[in-house]
Amino acid sequence: MLEATDITVRLGRREILHGVDFRARPGELTAIVGPNGSGKTTLLRALTGDLSQEGRVRLNGQDLSSLRPWVLAGLRAVLPQATPLAFPFTAAEVVRLGLMGGIEAAEADLVPKALARVGLAGFEGRYFQELSGGEQQRVQLARVLAQVWRPTAHGQPRWLFLDEPVSSLDIGHQLQVMRVARDYADQGGGVVTVMHDLNLTAMFADRVTLLAEGRVLAQGTPADVFRDEALSRAYRCPIRVNTPPEGGTYLLPHAAGQVAAE
Amino acid sequence: MIRALLATLVLAGPALAADRIVSVGGAVTEIVVALGEGERLVARDTTSTFPPAVRELPDIGYARRLSPEGVLSVDPDMILAEDGAGPPETVDLLRAAAIPFVEVPDGHDRNAVLAKIAAVAAALGVPDKGAALAADVGAALDAATGQAARGPHPRVMFVMSVQGGRILAAGRNTAADGIIRLAGGENAVAEFEGYKPLTDEAVTRAAPEVILMMAREGAEDMSDQVLSHPAIRTTPAAVARALVQMDGLYLLGFGPRTAQAVRDLSDALARAGS
Amino acid sequence: MVAISPDTAAAWDRAGHARRTTVLLALVLLTVAACGLTTGAAGTSPWTVLADLLAGREVALADRVVLFEIRLPRLAMGALVGASLAVSGAVMQGLFRNPLADPGLVGVSAGAGLGAISAIVLGGFWPAGLAAALGYYAVPVAAFLGGWASTLVLYGIATRRGRTSVATMLLGGIALGALAGALSGILVYMADDAQLRDLTFWGLGSLAGATWAKLAAAAPLMALALLCAPMLARGLNGLALGEAAAFHIGIPVQRLKTVAILTVAGATGAAVAVSGGIGFIGIVVPHLLRLATGPDHRYLLVNAALLGAALLILADVIARIVIAPAELPIGIVTAVLGGPVFLWILLRRRGVLDL
Repeated sequence: MLEATDITVRLGRREILHGVDFRARPGELTAIVGPNGSGKTTLLRALTGDLSQEGRVRLNGQDLSSLRPWVLAGLRAVLPQATPLAFPFTAAEVVRLGLMGGIEAAEADLVPKALARVGLAGFEGRYFQELSGGEQQRVQLARVLAQVWRPTAHGQPRWLFLDEPVSSLDIGHQLQVMRVARDYADQGGGVVTVMHDLNLTAMFADRVTLLAEGRVLAQGTPADVFRDEALSRAYRCPIRVNTPPEGGTYLLPHAAGQVAAE
Repeated sequence: MIRALLATLVLAGPALAADRIVSVGGAVTEIVVALGEGERLVARDTTSTFPPAVRELPDIGYARRLSPEGVLSVDPDMILAEDGAGPPETVDLLRAAAIPFVEVPDGHDRNAVLAKIAAVAAALGVPDKGAALAADVGAALDAATGQAARGPHPRVMFVMSVQGGRILAAGRNTAADGIIRLAGGENAVAEFEGYKPLTDEAVTRAAPEVILMMAREGAEDMSDQVLSHPAIRTTPAAVARALVQMDGLYLLGFGPRTAQAVRDLSDALARAGS
Repeated sequence: MVAISPDTAAAWDRAGHARRTTVLLALVLLTVAACGLTTGAAGTSPWTVLADLLAGREVALADRVVLFEIRLPRLAMGALVGASLAVSGAVMQGLFRNPLADPGLVGVSAGAGLGAISAIVLGGFWPAGLAAALGYYAVPVAAFLGGWASTLVLYGIATRRGRTSVATMLLGGIALGALAGALSGILVYMADDAQLRDLTFWGLGSLAGATWAKLAAAAPLMALALLCAPMLARGLNGLALGEAAAFHIGIPVQRLKTVAILTVAGATGAAVAVSGGIGFIGIVVPHLLRLATGPDHRYLLVNAALLGAALLILADVIARIVIAPAELPIGIVTAVLGGPVFLWILLRRRGVLDL
């Protein structure tokens, strides 16, 4: 269980989050959505222990601020939006960085496995800097997977935190990456991801938190949260939620000019 | 303990048989040769360039940066060094190797020259030759300075360099100051000690009547460039084109040739001032 | 650091190659060290001396001094200084995530330079008791204190609320360097002719002043830093991903920075204090090794120590035989060797990889 209560974050003089409450359960994929500048990434960073904030975050029942970095690394892995890499490491070496502090006998096995899982089998010896942006992003995902896959002594659920994991990917790879996250949740892990694409969110998320201007606007299942009125207010533009009769998936096209704002 | 013992042994018998000598310092080397003991030299430092024959000897480097193994490699049994030779680590190691390291005092007047000669002669074990040479040099110096005293007493500015248009001049307590005074001149720059850059205004105010410089071997003649320098151009020296250039070691070495150098300089000052 | 032996490792694993390189470099170091003991202006042969000593024969005092008081401490000093500079360079580059970083960035060099210049120029004004106690160690001691003081100041400037900003450190280092340069300039103006020559030579570096006493003072610091460095390896690897990601994979980033900076200040401070300014080792050695065996710091730091030691000993051998019986400042040799290598690296890698 991940529970955050009354999270307030200030960066400089500006208050980014105003008393946000958030919770997520292992076995579920929880998405954080909202317009640019609404505080999505800041909330994620508060949940991963990157920021000093007011309020309190408990991960698997333990206070986040009491956990040492290496203990924390055994409980959760984080995929940032972009990870520039210093020095010419190969793809396999980048993935292996996720295994730091783990049981290393397993690493020879885990590295190719993680790369294969993100569709990059055979990329082990390639230089990271020579890969395309999308490939780099997937190598980083493989690193994060290796971190949550590596064997540990504790039996607690482990968490994946993803910050816009599909923003630099084409549609095929978007689906592939979302399926990786979905599978991880289905196997009992916790997944918290910041999302821009509302359609993908509707397809893959179990629960959604909608942020606007540093506050929670709505929280619940996609069906609960994705309503014309709430989304239009959050994104300050007319949005209609369609439910086509042929399938259970929601489609959320922008109703360009057809729906008058108010 | 062993080192201390060695050191006393060394002091007890100062180089009676020293015949493999490393000479450090242009004036020291000149004195050794002038004493007729040049045959005993096996190496010299970079500044030892006179008489020309000593240039055939191996060069052990710059006097303040001697390499211990380099010095030992010429298998010396004594090192004769001007004041300030080093570094101290090297001197210590040479002493550890039981090689006497004799420092020769430095100075920029008549008595300093004679003291240098005496010190070198004593170290070489030829005090009689030393006394004779000192007497000769002393007499020649007295004659030269006596003559210089009767000549003109112009204000002289020694210019070490004009790198980048900045004039590096000699103040008090320098070899240049010493030789200018022996030759009857007056150092135009008395505000500071040592060699320092002068502002253009200070050059003008110093108003030298003669500019003195070192003649650099193989280097182009700088006299036109110096005399047309914006600050120097306004001085009496530039107006009269009174610029004197002399060999550096000859002029500033304060070795056995000092009397001759004083005579040459005072002649040049008299000519330049006329 | 264990587990996979070279034969079972996957084809993409560069670790086996890096470990073989370690063995090779160790052999190179031994060879070069033997070279350092046997070559010199004096014709002393260590083997003859050793044989004579073992046989109980009399050994000439000069030979004994050359071997045990000159070449041996110099060899040890060269190895330690070379290893310290190369490892410090590798650590700095890992910390700043920039292959062009060098220990100068944490202010060591500027502070050490100012310390050395103060000791050379102001030595005469020190209290007589202090001056006598320090003797000719005044310059190294002052250089070391200067290096440490400026590093601590810079670290203090760059650290707020328990977090050290590497970017602030970089900019602060430039400002501090300029300030130290200005103070040095004032001292240079006050210096007399002989002191100026000393300053110039100090800046060019030399191992000629190596004595057992200096070694005894400086070696523990350098050795401690060299032993600490491998413990930083995993952290520096993680830091390649950036500070945030390094924290995510379990690295105590702030502690890593503190230990890295202290290690570099200790190793470089001591190295610069005893040998003056020796350039290029800190940049060229880690760079060459990254090209050869990859950027993994677990191997890079060890290999850098070996290669740095070997290179500096070699440079010293060259410095002392090329114009024997005089000798070149070693900084000139490392610059002449290192400069072109560095340019070659830049030209070769240009556009291929993000350096």
